[in-house]
Amino acid sequence: MKVALVGNQNSGKTTLFNQLTGLNQKIGNWPGVTIERKTGIIKGTEDELIDLPGIYSLSPYSSEEEISRNFVLNETPDMIVNIIDATSIERSLYLTTQLLELDTKVVIALNMLDILEKKGIFIDVEKLSEKLGVTVISISALKKTGIEDLLTVIKDKNVIQNRHNKIFEPRVEKEIDNISKTISLGHKRFTSVKLLEGDALLVKQTNEQVKSSIIILEDHYNMDLEQVIANQRYNYITDIKSSGTVIMNIDIITDKLDKVFLNKWAALPIFAVIMTLIYMLAVGVIGGATVELVAGLFDSIAGGLSDTLTNAGASQWAVSLLCDGIIGGVGAVLGFVPQLIILFICIVILETTGYMSRIAFMLDMLFRKFGLSGKALIPFIVGSGCSVPGIMTTRTIENQNERKMSIVLTPFIPCSAKLPIIALFAGAFFPNSAGLVSASLYFFAIAVILFSAVLLKKFIFKGKSSTFISELPEYKIPGIKYVLKDVYEKTMEFIKRAGSIILLTSIFIWLLLSFNWRFEYGVDVNESILASIGNAISWIFYPMLGELSWAASVSAIQGLVAKEGVVSSMEVIAGVAEGAGSVLFNSQIFSFFSGTSAYAFMVFNLFSAPCFGAIAAMRRELGSNKKMFKAIGFQTLLALLLSYLVFGIGSLIGVIF
Amino acid sequence: MKERVQLGTKCNLSELQIGQRGKVISLENENKELRRRLLDMGITQGVVVEIKKIAPFGDPIDVLVRGYELCIRKAEMKYINVEVTR
Repeated sequence: MKVALVGNQNSGKTTLFNQLTGLNQKIGNWPGVTIERKTGIIKGTEDELIDLPGIYSLSPYSSEEEISRNFVLNETPDMIVNIIDATSIERSLYLTTQLLELDTKVVIALNMLDILEKKGIFIDVEKLSEKLGVTVISISALKKTGIEDLLTVIKDKNVIQNRHNKIFEPRVEKEIDNISKTISLGHKRFTSVKLLEGDALLVKQTNEQVKSSIIILEDHYNMDLEQVIANQRYNYITDIKSSGTVIMNIDIITDKLDKVFLNKWAALPIFAVIMTLIYMLAVGVIGGATVELVAGLFDSIAGGLSDTLTNAGASQWAVSLLCDGIIGGVGAVLGFVPQLIILFICIVILETTGYMSRIAFMLDMLFRKFGLSGKALIPFIVGSGCSVPGIMTTRTIENQNERKMSIVLTPFIPCSAKLPIIALFAGAFFPNSAGLVSASLYFFAIAVILFSAVLLKKFIFKGKSSTFISELPEYKIPGIKYVLKDVYEKTMEFIKRAGSIILLTSIFIWLLLSFNWRFEYGVDVNESILASIGNAISWIFYPMLGELSWAASVSAIQGLVAKEGVVSSMEVIAGVAEGAGSVLFNSQIFSFFSGTSAYAFMVFNLFSAPCFGAIAAMRRELGSNKKMFKAIGFQTLLALLLSYLVFGIGSLIGVIF
Repeated sequence: MKERVQLGTKCNLSELQIGQRGKVISLENENKELRRRLLDMGITQGVVVEIKKIAPFGDPIDVLVRGYELCIRKAEMKYINVEVTR
């Protein structure tokens, strides 16, 4: 059996999905967390549960809402679990009235009753069920109450059969009856109503009866039927509400918090402070200490192991592969795990408290001036964890031009894999202000995004700007358990990547570094295969480094596979060149780096083509290889230009002062 | 500071000040897709909308409608005709 989970955005669908299936899908406190349908098996059954993106009605606007409508209409689920956010029950029931027009069985899960009690809102569940003619189970997805009841209902399929209540005025109902007699499609009532409304996706089904019904009704109401139907739906809901529930829905805490966080003068400084603090915490204060600790640990492991193995008679190449290649490369990346944990905690807090929606709300005006919408902020914040989900989150942006711009621009945000690069260089060259330097890169990225948006809008994505109609969720205290789980999963993901992709590329780099073209081992690194490849491209990097460095050049290319690969590659090169345990920037090969070239090199790695994973996501969301290559070309050219500029201007300032 | 719109005035929603309420009389028809969205979000004839919060740059606006908060731009509020009730 297939069960579909349907509800408004931010109504707690995914939280319920996780409870019913035992999985741990991403949740958040902003509209549009779920952008793809996700499938799981309901605990203790063989029934499939499909989590669909949130919708407000069965007339879709954005690509992710269309997924939901198509699923409900075309893939004929056996049952729909309609989750309703009890705190905004009127708007939620609007979708319910449409679902109840289908021929599919529906059960309502009335969510967030725990919040209701606190707010002094009362809902008579039995009366609601009786009025709507549908089974209603009250639950709290967060506190896990009522879940068993819901499970039983799903298992036994014991729900009230849709009885297609006549919710519209008799005049309208009469025409709905007339139309449903003339159509052959399933979901007769639903289809008839949609035909009256002139639904764009059903327009082909329109027949003479529909046309005459529309004329009769429009004549009577003197407005088009889309409005008439919506008005009458809401009238029906208001009637139910006034007879079944009492609402006292003013969240004083949210209003008080917003007086501060959305204050006319304080809002932007608070936002800047919060984002700076995140980077200060991750890279500055905590980061600096942990990196030395962990790097020292891996260096001493590599150094110790190297001595032990050599004494035990292991061949020189084996020792080098293990210590310089594997431990050097993988260890370099793993050293950043503590910082990433801090970053992941900060991001999940932004996402689950409801602050992220405020960021979109308060910066919408600014972003609009540059051709983007405030909604683009959400992919950017999500993208500071990883570009891939960030790019996918752009699906919530209805305007296609704005959406494509956001796809191209999201990888500019420093993601967690770029954090090691930033932390490494900022820590080494700006030891007293590593946190500030990292934060400066974040705001630099935002400036570049806005600047690029203007360019893209002017030359490529011309056209009208979109609308901004979005729910502002109430503030919530994030569930500790979910936060921990989410941070754990993201961290493990990173560690797994270190153990797979980074491990392989480190070995690959070591091989290319240890052999020359005649496959002789133990040559000087400057004679290695890698050096000759690097030398061929090092002129590209000269204007940002002030040095023809094959080692930095090939490391930057590594960033394509995974951005943290830049760090591991540099560590492997330094290790092979100088022996395990050497300090990266003391090695002769990288000693040319200065503060200016370090910053320029960071800028290049920040803005150039993202890793393969993000490129694939761009390809998927942009829809064609051509567009993807254009986007990568744009990103990389811009990265080169900016890093040249940074180095040029930085050097100039150095000369003057 | 703009002047507060008088009680009973018929105007569009964007003219209201923070804390004011308006009862929706009609929606403009020019942009069908936008109107559909507004209808679906609960902005239908007769509903009362209250101006709650204003973004730092003066736009968008956060309104209370049907017991929940909705962010909406001034440009979109121009499509909503109301009668001032507070």
